[in-house]
Amino acid sequence: MRYMLIMQAPESMRVGEPDGPPADEVFEAMGRYNEALLEAGVLLAAEGLAPSAEGFVVTRDDEGATVTDGPFAEAKEVVAGFWILEVASREEAVQWAKRCPIGPGVRLEVRRIPEMAEFEGVAPAEVLDAEATLRQRIAERA
Amino acid sequence: MRFMLLLKYDEAAQMANPPDPAIFEEMGRFNTEMVDAGVLLAGEGLMPSAQGAVVAFDGEEPTVSDGPFTEAKELVGGFWILEVESLEEALSWARRAPFRNGERLEVRRVTEAADFEGIAPQEVLDAEEELRARQAQQHGG
Repeated sequence: MRYMLIMQAPESMRVGEPDGPPADEVFEAMGRYNEALLEAGVLLAAEGLAPSAEGFVVTRDDEGATVTDGPFAEAKEVVAGFWILEVASREEAVQWAKRCPIGPGVRLEVRRIPEMAEFEGVAPAEVLDAEATLRQRIAERA
Repeated sequence: MRFMLLLKYDEAAQMANPPDPAIFEEMGRFNTEMVDAGVLLAGEGLMPSAQGAVVAFDGEEPTVSDGPFTEAKELVGGFWILEVESLEEALSWARRAPFRNGERLEVRRVTEAADFEGIAPQEVLDAEEELRARQAQQHGG
């Protein structure tokens, strides 16, 4: 089963920001954590996201799409990064989340990624077939 | 450049008022367009927060709270990761994303090693590059 670990943090706590942790410590600790995930064979993906000042929000109504630029000043916390793990159970995902070397004020959301088989009977078969083909094409691109 | 498109939504509101089933087909078409254009690296939905958990790191030990996350006004419902030539290209895809139930789509740049040169020690950057290579091999990348 796949789980996504979503790091939610106030922007002021990013490395380099006033309330942020010392860069050296963070990078070393994160490096060790990612190495442990890799050694265990559970790491599918891990990425960081640039600050929301570089980001945008798109909303949509009947008129069309509206693009607003960041930073997301009103947000208490912002997605700072994520991991995607392949694990045997929800408990295993939670255990890995607990080991993440992040500090007070940062939260890790643990959310399951569904597999296509779960949508059989829910989404039309031709939609599922089309999605399977798309996933194959994406995998081949890698 | 890589960008992450994060679909943020009011889970409680959407459960009370589920989207039109036509959304499956619209999503399929949108995903197909991105694959045809060669820009889609990944895309997934997330199960509702009732199946999830939140780990907080405020005390001496991390604490785990099970979902649902009823107090959250906005949750991540899914994401795409695109590889494009520019921010403008990422935004043009984001504008076309088929959502219509009051969701918000956050467009965020995915950081690369170059972002951390001079901030992270070189050996850490080298180690990360090696990790990525090993990870790609491990899971068939």
